[in-house]
Amino acid sequence: MLQNKWLLPLARYTILPLLIVMIGCGGPPANNPLLNDARESYEAAHSDESIVRLAPVALKEAEEALQMSTELWEAKADKTEVDHYAYLAKQKTLIARETALLNAAQREISQGETERQQVMLEVRRAEAQRSEQRAISALEDAQRERTAATEARAGAETAREIAQEARLRAEDLAQKVSELEARPTDRGLVLTLGDVLFDFGEATLKPGGMKTVNQLGDFLNEYPERNILIEGFTDSIGSEAFNQALSARRAENVKNALMNLGVRSDRIRTRGYGTQYPVASNATEQGRQLNRRVEVVISDQDGVIKDRTGSN
Amino acid sequence: MNRYLIILPMIVGIALIAACGSTNPPTQQLTETRMVIEQAEEVGAGEYAPLELRDAGIKLQQARDAVEDKEYEKAKRLLEHARVDAELAQVKALSAKSQEAAAELRESIRVLKEELERKNQ
Repeated sequence: MLQNKWLLPLARYTILPLLIVMIGCGGPPANNPLLNDARESYEAAHSDESIVRLAPVALKEAEEALQMSTELWEAKADKTEVDHYAYLAKQKTLIARETALLNAAQREISQGETERQQVMLEVRRAEAQRSEQRAISALEDAQRERTAATEARAGAETAREIAQEARLRAEDLAQKVSELEARPTDRGLVLTLGDVLFDFGEATLKPGGMKTVNQLGDFLNEYPERNILIEGFTDSIGSEAFNQALSARRAENVKNALMNLGVRSDRIRTRGYGTQYPVASNATEQGRQLNRRVEVVISDQDGVIKDRTGSN
Repeated sequence: MNRYLIILPMIVGIALIAACGSTNPPTQQLTETRMVIEQAEEVGAGEYAPLELRDAGIKLQQARDAVEDKEYEKAKRLLEHARVDAELAQVKALSAKSQEAAAELRESIRVLKEELERKNQ
């Protein structure tokens, strides 16, 4: 601390006069408790990095007051003066301490404000995202509901229309069936063209038979899902071969007549059963007349006709 | 070390002033000290630094009394004390308020971050 070039003037101007004063007054100056407090307090603050950094001016003022007090004490000045500056040093040290805290808090506030705004921004962004998602899903829900409602309405209308159509067709079918004088059997509706509708011993249809065939053709054109099986039968008079051929030919003739009316050939099957499956006794003329016939089996709405099983 | 060369004449000067005594009342200093106390009150020292504020007020009054008694040197010292007390009261109040604000800010950031976490879930 003491450099050589300062030693001489110091000794001359400071230490020597002080020594003279001290000797004159007798003894060194008494210990000053207020100054000691102030110094302790200042030194603690001075070794606090944050106070040095955040309150340098206030700390400097404290140091100056402490220096003044120390000088005065060393100069053995009036105790009131030493105490005065010691008090100022102590208070200024406290001011430095509080200033450092204040500045630290204000730095935190300015940094925190930035952070808070960033977080708030993120919160708003998240909120916006969520509400956007909510809006989107609400929109989607609404659209789904709307679509479902529309579909339901359309479905209901379609179902009603279908039901209505089905009802009308059923009514119409019933009407047509009754016009055809078809009778329901376990194989389906069966229409019988009697012997009187054909030329005797021939396969040709008489005009009365043609009338029935025309009705059948209209029916088949109206209900394209229905197929038919045309079965020919004879009585037991004559050879089996003749009867079988005759029955097949009659059935075939009905088919040709229907095809002339526009019914597709693949909807029509024909079978000649000959004398098989009599519906009455061949012993009487009346019975034989009933056995000479063509039966038209109308399929269900799937176009299926069950074949005959068993002998009758 | 050269500051001793500066300080020594100062000490001599102070000693001289002390010896002769001040001739003028510290009117300007009185006004200034009163203003510093008022400022301290304004920033909430009554709540955050009541002891320092009270000390300042008492010393201001003592200084006025000293002026009445024409003890101008004593008045000046008392005013300097009162002023540093008031300044301490000011900075204490400001510091306390800033620290409260910082704590509030910390809390609000914490709450916001929690909210953000919830929203991001």
